[in-house]
Parts: sequence; structure tokens; C-alpha cells
Amino acid sequence: MSKRSDMTETKNWSGQTLVTADHMLFEAPRSKHFMTGSEVLKEAVKRCTVDASVSYPITPQSEAAHLIGELWAEGYVGVYFRGENEFGVMSEVAGCAMAGARTITTTSGPGTLRAMENFAQWSGTRIPCQLILMARGINSPLTIQPDNLEVSYMLETGCQIWYAENVQELFDMSIAAFVVAEKPDVHVPIITVVDGFFVSHTRESVMLPEDDIALFPYDPNRAPLPAIDSETPPGRFLRDPFVMKSNYISYATHASWQWEIRSAVERSVPYARHYLKGLVHVTGDADAEIAFVACGTASYQAKEAHRELTKLGIKTKVIKLRTIRPFPEAELLEALKGVKTIFVPEFNVVGWLEKEVKKCLYGKCDANVVGGPRVAGGMSMPAEAILREVMEKINSGKGA
Amino acid sequence: MGTNIYKINPEFRDIMPKEIIDLEENATWSATTDKRGIKELPETKELLEEHSLCAGCPEAAALRYVLAALPKPEDTVIVNSTGCTSLMFPHIALHTVHSLFGNQNAVATGIKRVLDWRFPEIEKDVVVLAGDGATVDIGLDYTLQSFFRQENITTICFDNEVYANTGGQESGATPKGQVFKMAPTGKKFEKVRMWELAVTSGCHYSMNMTASAPKAVAKAVREAIFVARYLGPTFLNIYTPCILEIGLNANEGLREMKEQDKERFAAFKFVSPEAEELLAKLKEEGRL
Amino acid sequence: MANQGPAYYSPYPTAVYEGVITPPEGKALLLTKVVDEEIAMREIAKVMLTSENATIFPGPQVLYGYNEESKKKAKLIKEMSEVLNAKMIPMYDYRPKYPKIDAEVEINPNHPNLTIWHNEIKAAIFIGVHCHYANVALKIVRAETDCYTIAICGLSGHEDAMATLRDMHSHELEKFIKIAREVKSELKL
Repeated sequence: MSKRSDMTETKNWSGQTLVTADHMLFEAPRSKHFMTGSEVLKEAVKRCTVDASVSYPITPQSEAAHLIGELWAEGYVGVYFRGENEFGVMSEVAGCAMAGARTITTTSGPGTLRAMENFAQWSGTRIPCQLILMARGINSPLTIQPDNLEVSYMLETGCQIWYAENVQELFDMSIAAFVVAEKPDVHVPIITVVDGFFVSHTRESVMLPEDDIALFPYDPNRAPLPAIDSETPPGRFLRDPFVMKSNYISYATHASWQWEIRSAVERSVPYARHYLKGLVHVTGDADAEIAFVACGTASYQAKEAHRELTKLGIKTKVIKLRTIRPFPEAELLEALKGVKTIFVPEFNVVGWLEKEVKKCLYGKCDANVVGGPRVAGGMSMPAEAILREVMEKINSGKGA
Repeated sequence: MGTNIYKINPEFRDIMPKEIIDLEENATWSATTDKRGIKELPETKELLEEHSLCAGCPEAAALRYVLAALPKPEDTVIVNSTGCTSLMFPHIALHTVHSLFGNQNAVATGIKRVLDWRFPEIEKDVVVLAGDGATVDIGLDYTLQSFFRQENITTICFDNEVYANTGGQESGATPKGQVFKMAPTGKKFEKVRMWELAVTSGCHYSMNMTASAPKAVAKAVREAIFVARYLGPTFLNIYTPCILEIGLNANEGLREMKEQDKERFAAFKFVSPEAEELLAKLKEEGRL
Repeated sequence: MANQGPAYYSPYPTAVYEGVITPPEGKALLLTKVVDEEIAMREIAKVMLTSENATIFPGPQVLYGYNEESKKKAKLIKEMSEVLNAKMIPMYDYRPKYPKIDAEVEINPNHPNLTIWHNEIKAAIFIGVHCHYANVALKIVRAETDCYTIAICGLSGHEDAMATLRDMHSHELEKFIKIAREVKSELKL
């Protein structure tokens, strides 16, 4: 096991050379590897000088959690153990982060819902921990299959939410996520979502920097609240006090505090723009009147559909949302200039992304929003399903 | 570092209120005295500034004993849960946490493990202090799991045998037959013997007691914290009756506790052989 | 845009939701405008020197001598208060106080407006307050008072203040004091 005190000005406790996020993400030479989402997460965590991680088994994130355990055994991660259930794990993560640790955990579907009370607490107490959410369906009936309905439950927790499309994006995003979440004026938790199985279990080519470099460590002295370590004034400090209990009342504090959390999420925008190279990625025909707005695997399938539609002479573009919280309103509106019809393909039955898009566009864009196609419960979304949706719409009554 | 965070910069001394100056000048820390304890309560600055509990609440007195007994307050973090105790926590002059209802031992686990990781050269104590609802009911899983995992944490339950802060509902620690809200015809099952569960679950030191004798509380707290620091989990169940919910006056809490010293809170004390050995050694060294 | 008072009953609107966020590195924020640090420093000195009951609110990070930087800053803040003819009222911890605060001698982040109302403070500097609590307090102050708030921050700054300087360490505070002296003599105060 490593010791944190082994760290020097230039090396972390496992002997990796400390580098800036810009160097790690944009400058360090990369070489090609072939690995799954779970495996690439190990590679990302290995390069992030992570203090602590708490794990719990649930499909499909278990392997990622095992691999972080291996990093601990190899001396890259300081603290690691299995918690008792996801509510306990997320509370343990809160304890680790409040005590000043760069902390990561992973969960999926039912685990997310079991832990739910913690997420609003995480953001309220301004910890910059990272949750890797490998989305799967939620009960009942039981499913272990990919489905991202659980993300809709996370939307108003006060956490940042990013969505990675593939294995490469998971690697780059999960590194950038620590860096953005730890900015003093942001400093709220970040949830990096990928679609379970489609990304966690799919092997793809990825470009990785060498593993002898790692991010500078987290500095709790640059946090917006004192760390719970008895080393930071004030000595008298409760994280966090009741401010609206009947024998002490300041409604204004609770209200202001809540606005502050949401403000913190919005302050991440310039940082996310830099480290993600944009909150949205637009591909396809710039002058298209049909656009797909999607995130994660659905955007990959939308790009497939775009290729097929191009063959039919139909122009489309794909607007991939990389951040969901903050919602990339300005970028989306810009990308939708000239678009008349928007399709929102999704891996869930409720269409939470369609609702998000409509809310954003209301009064600001005249395009017609079609929610769909939607698949759920582990169904795949073949490009044909998207094609059919488009052809029905533009060729009404005549079918695809 | 410890007490540096209480040292007022001289440039601001004239604008700081008395309570803060007192804290710097008259509170006791491990560096200033070998043995803190309740005997110093009248003469020194207490770590509890004020509180908003009911007049005569035994819980407030018990917290004062606990704080006076901490062996190393300047490096002690206390983790709390929702309940009457949380009304006192903002006023404790230490780093403390209130997270959710019931997750106190999970949060404390994360804090303790990271403090050991960040400060291997400093002995940092983590103490959980929560009510019976938090410890025995909603948080039972997290309490016991932290014992199973052998976390180096002291867990103190202020057992008032009722959900007092929410208006007097029956809890797992309520005695059988007692009529409270949510048990309108009387509680149907026995009081959960948490101090015994603590032993079975791996605690090295477990006690059931009332807060009637300040010195006994202070001794138990000090011993439990030392055993947790060097061996593993420890547990104290301390009766702090809710005088409001059982219909007593502000001056009747002590009598109630004394009566229960012979009843439901008749002294129970478990000390593992390793803990016995440790405590004997600490006593020899003059640390107890 | 960031509204200057007068009183509302709630701490809205917040600056971020009006499109104002913390200034980029090397810059400062004056109301809604990103400006050069020196321009903001001059404006801050002028406001403090010409407002009634100008006050500095030092927070825990400078009140307590827990490291060398805090000791250095304490000396500089004392000097700053003399140059700006400003009173000092400490925010010495963040707890919600029971039963009430003494607005004469302290400011509490949970109802900072009480201290500003009571002492009729028209301009104030927050310094050494942890960013989260500064932001909670600044939103309340902005909504509930007409005080011109200034945040001198060691980290990323505060858009809910009317003026904010960021990355202010002791070296930068020395620069601010120098500028404040110049402004003071220009104003013939």
C-alpha cells in the first residue's frame, strides 16, 4: 500500500509524474489500446491521483468497481472498500470527500435509486466527488439491461451530469470531470453517465496517454467549505447546520443556499467548454432542416441514421449533448438555427431528454420536436428504427 | 496542527467577542492538559457554547460531559444524525457533521479512513453521537456494519427511548408496553438491547448506562475513545430521558436517570481482553 | 444583471441566473462587467472611501492564525481598514446562532442583513470568508439591503457581490492597499 506522505512536488504517492489537466487531456502523446468501458475507467482513475473509492456490486458496473479495487491493491488509490449497500456507499463517499479526499464511486439502476437521498445531500454540502453511472433499467419487473430512465431521477439533485457516448469519451470525460468539479467556484458533485453494457462491456479502440503521468492531487484548502479535518478554521464548524428548524429560523439561508448550488452548476460552463471542447458536438449537414438531439449511445445510432438518410438524399444533423446539467441551452439553440424538425431518440420510455429539449426551446425556437424513437428495457435502437420515425414524419401516411 | 485554528490573529483581537477569546484562552486541549474531565467544567471554557434544547434536558448535560471527556478534542471529529442532538451540534466548538438521518456510521467511516490516509502521523478520533432512532432503527444497518468492518470509531447513542424531535413516537429503544404516538395501544415488542448487539457485532468495548453520574460518563467516553483509536469499534448506550415526552418537570431528569440505573439501564459493561490490556497499559502510562 | 437593493423578501434574483458568473483569471468583476483588476481596485477603494459606515467583514480564513498566509493577511487587512477608514466586524464562524446575533459586534452568514441594517452599512468588503458561505450571505445581502458589497477572494471570486477581485493573496492585497492610498489622496480624504 502507498502512503500519501510519499508524494513529492513532482510525483504522486505511486510515483507517477504530476501533470496539469491540459497536458493530460490535450498534450501528452497517446497510443492505441483496445478495451471496454469498465477497463478504460480503470485507466482513467489510475491517472487521476484518486484518494478514495467505495464500491458495491450491481450489474453492469461491478467490473469497473473491481478494477478500481485492483488499483488500490497496486497502490494507486489511497482508500478502498466495499460498503454495505448503495445508501451506505454514497454516505461513505460523502464522508471521504468531506474529509478532503478526491473520491470516486460507481453505480447502476436500482443502486442509484436506493442511494437517492444522498445525491441532494452531496450537492448541498459542496463535495466534488465523481459518480460513474452505468445506466440500467429500474424495477419492476427486474431488469439488468441498458435503459437510462434512472438519469431522469438525477436531474434535480443539484449535481452536474455529463453523458459520455463511448469508451474514449468515458476516459476523457471522467478525467475532466474531477478537474471541473474541483474548481472552487463549482465544487459540486459530478455524475458521468454512460449506457450500461453498450459502453461498460463493449470493447473499442481508444487512445490513451502513458500511465506514468497523473493529475495533481485534490487540494481541500481550495474548497468553498472547510474540510472536516480539524485543520481548517473555524474550529466551531458543523457541516451542515439546520437553518430552518423551529427554534432557529432563516428561510433566506435555505433558499439562498439552494440557489447557490444551482449557480455552482452553471459556473462549470466555461470550464466544461474548455475541457470537453464544447458542451455539444454537432455532426452531419450544417444546413439540414432535420436534427437529432441525443446523448450517449442514442447519438451514435443517430449518426448511423444520418449516414443512411444521406444515401436517400435527406439532409440531417446530429447534436450530441455532452452535458445535461448544466443544460447546454446556448449551444443547442445555436446548433438548431434553420432546423424545422427535431427528433429525440432515447433509451427510456418516459422521454426525459425530449422534455428537457422542449423546456429549453420553449419560446426561443419554432422547430417541431418529435419525441422518439424510444426503446427501453434493454432493446437496441437500430438505425432503421430512427429512419422509420423520420420517414413517417416527412412522408406522412406513406410509411418509411 | 489542532489548536492553531482557534488562535486569533492579534490584529483582530479587539473586535472578537468574548466567547471566541475564551475559547482560545480557557478551553482545554490535549496539549494543555494530560487529563481533561468533568472536574474542569466550572473553571474552563466549555466546547458547547449554547444550545436550544428544552430547559432541564438531560441530553444537554450528557453532551457537556462527553465534550469535557474527549482526550484530544482538537483532533476529534463528531458525526451526528437527525434528532434532538442535531440542535446542539452547530454550537460545538469542533468540526462536526450532520448528513442524513441514519447514515452517521457510514459517513464517519469515510471520514475516519480518509483522515488516517491524509494524516498518518496524527491521531485523529472520530466519534458518532446520535439518538436511538438514528442508531437502532433507521441507521441500524450502518451502525452494525461499521462494527463488523472493525472501524476505529466510537459510537455513542443518546437513548431517550423515543423519537422526541418529531413529537414523541415509539422507537426500537422504547420499552415494551409504553404508549407513545405510533404505538397507541402500547409498544408490542421488547426494547432492543443495542449494547448486546454491539458485542456480538464486534465492538471491543460496550456499555449501557444512564447519564446520572457525570464522572462515570466521562470515564466511559475516554476509555471508549482510546479503545476505538487503537483497537476497533466501541459503543456507549446512555440514557438521556426525554422529560417532555414522559411528563416530567425540568428538575426531574436526574431523579429519573437514577431510578433507571437499577432498571432498564442497570450497568452493563463489556471489555474485550485486548481492550482490558490496553486500558491497563494506558492507566500505567497515566493517560487514563 | 446584478441588482443593487432595495429590499426584497427573498434572496432572488441570483447573478448567475442573470448571466453573470465569476471573472476569468487575471480579471475582476464590477457589477456585470469583466474589467482589469486595477480598474476594479480603484473603484472598490473609491466606494469604500465615500460610502457611509464602510465596513470590512473578515472571515475565519484570516481571523485565525492557522498558517503563515493568514497571519500576513491579518496585518494587511488591518492596514487596509486604516487606509479605507473602515470599521471591522468579524464573521468568526458560520453557525446559525440561538437565540439571536449581536449585530453591533458580529455578522452571521445566515442573516447578514441584520448587521447591515443595524449599522447602516452602505459598503462592505467580505474577505477570508469561505466561498460557499460568502455566496449564501451575498445573495441575501443583495436582495435585502442597498449595501454595495465587495468580495476580495483568494480563489475564484463572487458574482453576487457588486465588485469582486479574485486570486487575492497577500501580494495582491499589498497592491490594493497601494492603490487605495492613491485614491484616498486623489479624493483629498
